[in-house]
Amino acid sequence: MLIQVLINSISAASVYTLIALGFSLIYSTTRFFHFAHGAVYVSGPYFAYLFHSLLDVSLVFSLPLAVASSSILGIALEVFIYKPLRTKGSTSLILLLASLGIYIMIQNIISMIFGDDTKTLRSGLVREGLEFFGARITIIQLTIIIVCFVLLIACWILMNYTKIGNAMRAVASDPELALISGTDPDRVILFAFAIGSALAGIAAILISFDIDMTPTMGMNALMMGVVAVIIGGVGSIPGIALGALLLGMAQHIGVWKIGSQWQDAIAFVILLIFLLFRPQGFLGKKIKKANI
Amino acid sequence: MEYFLHILILIGIYVILSVSLNLITGYSGLLSIAHAAFYGVGAYVAALLALKFHSPFLANIICAVILSGLLGAVVGIPSLRIRDDYFAIATFAFQVITFSVMNNWVSFTGGPMGLPGIPQPAIFGWEITTHYDFLIVIFVLCIITLWISHKIVASPFGRVLKAIREDEIFAQAMGKNVASYKVLIFVIGAGMASVAGVMYAYYISFIDPTSFTIMESIFIISIVIIGGAGNIWGSVLGAAVLVILPEALRFLGMPSSIAANMRQIIYGALLVIFMLFRPQGFIGEYSFRK
Repeated sequence: MLIQVLINSISAASVYTLIALGFSLIYSTTRFFHFAHGAVYVSGPYFAYLFHSLLDVSLVFSLPLAVASSSILGIALEVFIYKPLRTKGSTSLILLLASLGIYIMIQNIISMIFGDDTKTLRSGLVREGLEFFGARITIIQLTIIIVCFVLLIACWILMNYTKIGNAMRAVASDPELALISGTDPDRVILFAFAIGSALAGIAAILISFDIDMTPTMGMNALMMGVVAVIIGGVGSIPGIALGALLLGMAQHIGVWKIGSQWQDAIAFVILLIFLLFRPQGFLGKKIKKANI
Repeated sequence: MEYFLHILILIGIYVILSVSLNLITGYSGLLSIAHAAFYGVGAYVAALLALKFHSPFLANIICAVILSGLLGAVVGIPSLRIRDDYFAIATFAFQVITFSVMNNWVSFTGGPMGLPGIPQPAIFGWEITTHYDFLIVIFVLCIITLWISHKIVASPFGRVLKAIREDEIFAQAMGKNVASYKVLIFVIGAGMASVAGVMYAYYISFIDPTSFTIMESIFIISIVIIGGAGNIWGSVLGAAVLVILPEALRFLGMPSSIAANMRQIIYGALLVIFMLFRPQGFIGEYSFRK
């Protein structure tokens, strides 16, 4: 049983990590809570559903197309809404409110087009999982864990060993200084939106193979990502993975001991504890938003 | 005619909700995504008291205000340590936890099935049954809320709130106990919001957790922002506009399945448009800039 809980926690943590990575890329370069990231996330599997089930494109092409579409949606939000807002010198609260509005719009547009009922990308029967030390792991759980691990490493390399990664860290630490030294923050932020939104799309497509999709699944998923980011520390990739793992384990031990309906409450109680006592997370730097 | 009265009653409920949130967000600059939680606590406290103890209407209102006020204090306390978007996320957490309790503590709150059959209220023998009666009660409560809010914002207390909004460290340097002001305004705002919840519970006579979700919180925020943060009358205007506007869709012959989504799309779009072009709302005095 313990191993089963561990497998489930790691698989949940993998999805949280992907959402959290995308959110954190955007948050660390723009410094505002991009709520609409939850909507970009939902858009992923719905694009896939549109291409695959409605337009009959094969799964091999429709999944990359869907990820690209999510990425483009993220870029479009940045170009048409956030960038004009930043140009006007809006504060992070204004951007947060605008992103709440965008979230509501996209979620409702999706539910208007596709309906509120559960949609699935799976075809055929649910296959029995693999036997693993007396516990079961499904093929999709295994895929989720592997994809997450690969993308985590890729992100870490991107942030630490490439030019654009350096530029992103520069903008994250001081946008003005980055501008002075010849890095255009807008271009870097655009890149962060492209990568972050693609990661969200991938996470959501993976999870929709596991537990299907509804238009409203984005807010909750996003918040789990945010909790992972805050536990781990904004801007720290190992921190995010650690935070996601801690969150996944706490939730699944909770499911085991007290019941699955309290998953959300557990996550947010953990969030509150961290916000109050260690707002910079495990591995993050001290932030100005706390302890004024 | 009943429909028309129904709209007026809804506007009244949202005026109470948005004016009380305006005190917290518009005047004190603390963006709270937990207002539907206070609204829900009010509704649940009144419904449970009325169903389990058959206690009178006015007593229930007082209980709801006290309990919701206490929750307000708890939600307000993180504002002493964290701010801006981090604080907004903390209130979000309270919103989700409150919703979880309403939805999952089935033996007490009825869970997703809700609480049906809330009895009709009576004030000193006057039974409130028709739409007219409810409208009168809600109108009176609106007036009281507006009067209290006006008194608060016009007082030295209100000026300190604005000072905290504009420059917290400065307010502190002037010797004001910023912490107690922030918590107190949360208690007041939460107490007022619970009154709206009580009225909603009695008026609809059925409540379930879906009326008090994060989306409801965002709707109340939209009213405050679009009407105008930092101006009480802005919230009155915002409540009227945002309640009436989606109703107009009905008359355009839109099917009700799409109308529900359209309603949310409209206020989402309005929120974005106002943030882009007029962050202070219609007649607001605060545009979330420092």
